[in-house]
Amino acid sequence: MEATDDDTLYDMESNGRGSESGISMPTSTSEESSAQRASYQSQQSHQYQQPQQSQSQQSQRSDMELQQPLHVDYILVAEFSIDEGPTMEHQYPAPISGDEHMLAELMLPDQTHRRNQDWTIFFLHKEEEETEDDPGQQPLIYVLNLVNTKRDSRVKRGAKVKAMAICTRHSFLHIYKPILLLALEEYFKKPTQETLAEVFVAVNTMDMSCIPRLSVFERQILATSENKEMFIEKFEEMMPPAPDAAGEQAVTTPDGATRTTYFEIGPGSQRNKLINGKLGKIRDSHEYETSVTYKGVKIPIKVPVAVMPETVGDFSLIQLITTFSTPHSQNPQPFPLHPHLTTNGPYTHPVIVLVNALLTQKRIVFLGHGRPSGEVANHVLAACYLASGGVLKGFTRHAFPYTDISKIEELLYVNGFIAGVINPMFANQARWWDVLCDIDSGRIKISPELKPPPLTDGLSFFNLNPNMGVADYVKHDTMDNAFMDDILHCISSRFGEWAVRARWRDWVLRFTRMATAFEEVVYGASALWIGHEENHVIKGHGYVWADEALKTRDLTANAARIEGWRGTRSYLTLVQESAQLYQAKPIKIVDLHHQIDRLRVLRLSREDSEKIYMVLKHYVDDYEEINQLLCVIPETQNGIFPIAFGLFHPSQKVRFAVVELLEKISTHMAGRHFFNNMNRFQRLAYIRLKQEKENSGGFSPVATEGANGMGSFSTTTTPTTAAGVSRFTTFGTVGRGGL
Amino acid sequence: MGGQISKMMAKLFGSKEMRLLMLGLDAAGKTTILYKLKLNQGVTTIPTVGFNVETVTYKNVKFNVWDVGGQDKIRPLWRHYFSGTQGLIFVIDSNDRERIDEARQELHRIIQDREMKESLLLVFANKQDLPGAMSPQEVTEKLQLSKLKDRIWYVVPSCATTGEGLIEGLGWLSNNVKAPSTRAA
Repeated sequence: MEATDDDTLYDMESNGRGSESGISMPTSTSEESSAQRASYQSQQSHQYQQPQQSQSQQSQRSDMELQQPLHVDYILVAEFSIDEGPTMEHQYPAPISGDEHMLAELMLPDQTHRRNQDWTIFFLHKEEEETEDDPGQQPLIYVLNLVNTKRDSRVKRGAKVKAMAICTRHSFLHIYKPILLLALEEYFKKPTQETLAEVFVAVNTMDMSCIPRLSVFERQILATSENKEMFIEKFEEMMPPAPDAAGEQAVTTPDGATRTTYFEIGPGSQRNKLINGKLGKIRDSHEYETSVTYKGVKIPIKVPVAVMPETVGDFSLIQLITTFSTPHSQNPQPFPLHPHLTTNGPYTHPVIVLVNALLTQKRIVFLGHGRPSGEVANHVLAACYLASGGVLKGFTRHAFPYTDISKIEELLYVNGFIAGVINPMFANQARWWDVLCDIDSGRIKISPELKPPPLTDGLSFFNLNPNMGVADYVKHDTMDNAFMDDILHCISSRFGEWAVRARWRDWVLRFTRMATAFEEVVYGASALWIGHEENHVIKGHGYVWADEALKTRDLTANAARIEGWRGTRSYLTLVQESAQLYQAKPIKIVDLHHQIDRLRVLRLSREDSEKIYMVLKHYVDDYEEINQLLCVIPETQNGIFPIAFGLFHPSQKVRFAVVELLEKISTHMAGRHFFNNMNRFQRLAYIRLKQEKENSGGFSPVATEGANGMGSFSTTTTPTTAAGVSRFTTFGTVGRGGL
Repeated sequence: MGGQISKMMAKLFGSKEMRLLMLGLDAAGKTTILYKLKLNQGVTTIPTVGFNVETVTYKNVKFNVWDVGGQDKIRPLWRHYFSGTQGLIFVIDSNDRERIDEARQELHRIIQDREMKESLLLVFANKQDLPGAMSPQEVTEKLQLSKLKDRIWYVVPSCATTGEGLIEGLGWLSNNVKAPSTRAA
């Protein structure tokens, strides 16, 4: 399939598929790779044209756009006409260019007649200039759609089926659910353009002016932390200096009526917060509380503050994992072998088969016959996160959370997709997919038509081949089964969605870091590693293994899927972004992640660990530098533990350096929470050492007995959640070895 | 495991499976027929958005019946259901003389498709209970079925609400279907 990729692309470009309309299904035009991006960019030059629309609509829209980017671009209403089928009824403020009929079909999902209500999600690709923070990518428009079937004996054929959709650039589109419920109800009563206009104005006057703006590092720290006060200071920073000034600033709509509404929902509520002990009112710093006033009802809205890439809607990763774990744990069934997919042999965990399929860009169909399409869509969105972990990108762009059989031809043009359907016809057509995820049975199926991958250098390097037998798979353990056990434990112990997402993120990150090492071993260099090691104050970069045997085991076990991942969209995007991320890093003189990992994993000599702690103390200094450090010590990996461990270093110089570093962290906005997570022993050691340091004026030749408590301490209490315990026993013995 | 046992049983007792596709203009009575067969009771239907699919067992034959919405704009989707179909049930509103020509055109378009070459054709001349309904002979004529070459077809007068004719139709299909499909279920 990889081989024909380019041909297909150019073929379709010459057909002009998907490029004729302003909005298209993500078909050919989105099939870019970095190599092809140049042609792709020139092709998309301003395809988007505002269609003809009435003057007043035009002016209202542009007035709004002058003030701030719109929250919601379009409101659509479609009806299932008893004579014709799916029909678009109204589009506001203007028609979306493109295939109107296709949109109407998506808005009226299969089998809507069997239920009173259904939610769906789908995406539109808008062809216009790229956004700044996402170079090389067109902005996606996310569509949240509500469809209602109302039985009514008075109307012909006994029912009315109508759907209303909100089209937005916000990936957290689930915030619009309550409004859509009210608005569709209203539309059944009053099926006019004005009803849409009211909704449009209401959602676009939502005030988000005071939402904290976060840097890449800050966003990552907040998203991977469960602490509800993390970066709460940012909310304070965003408070308008004086309510009056803010009021003037925030006027966004031209007509007086909305202006009053605006004041009501906007700075007014903020002012309350400001007066009544401002921070007391913020319950969770992960959410920004605002509201939308529709038909005189003030609807509270919670906007996520740190949205990670590839996180769309309010899916449940736990639900996805549970769906495909339960039947497997009760009655495991063997998979036919495929090197990319069955990385642990025929009894590879189905969720691992799924993530492998995503990483190696297979065609994946989620089928939920007899289920609401919204449920299927949520499985698709969760799957995007499963492979992304907020680290990799390019999955949502090729996801079709809900689609139907009428789009099958367009779908088959896409090289690697994730589609949600409720039509069981898909199960009969094994040539339409590589991997079928049946939500009803909880089983994952590999298509008998999926061919083994070609033999590549990476495989031969590790003496592997595409037609390996069961014994070859089982020989090299990926440790994924142990990982899945940990995840299922997390779920059954009710650690929550956050904990499961954070662990998947760690898994994906580990995979990409192993891939980097793999490329360096096999090909001599990796495009995923950017840096100038010759300038590093301590040598070394990348993933850390305890010894060479473990490294060989991991690289061999992962070789096939890494080879399958190389060259995919998510791989190429990561290559591109690695360079950008490197530029954004304030500390380039040492690979922080690598050095922290060495502290975690290796038995370091006292000289080696001293070097690391001294470098940390020396180079991690200002605000953003501390953020960079905090990113590599997430809560799921025992947070500040490896650093606090330095408080027990045999050298006093090092202990004092660690005190200094911890001091800096403790006064940092986010760092203070990491600091507070130190356990009692560490905290006592810190206080004692700090005293000692002050008494000695920063230096004392006398070695204290600080290290004494260490042996027992290190192997016992760890400030950790269940997962990391085993890792830490290792660390404890390491520490002793270093003394 | 359970699946394998039932497959063995199927071999022992000679039960067969048959995939049927039920098409026709909107409001011809397709969904009512489907649920009359499935539940043996009349249900009040509303227009089908997309499709319905149900399994109906009759005389050891498992009929997998697909019922696809018939509105004008969604008729082009019918072809996605052709592949693997062993029997086409085409439903006619015998009382709708105005659209019988439209029905004929759609029917001929379907059975000309390469993927429908092997399919049996059963026509339900439905809504026979309504006064002035066309007779099965008239429906046969209007649909120009005699023009069909190399096609096994049959017209049954039916009334979906009472169930009249439906079992006769299924019986005809099971008697005329070729050797049970050997494709993996």
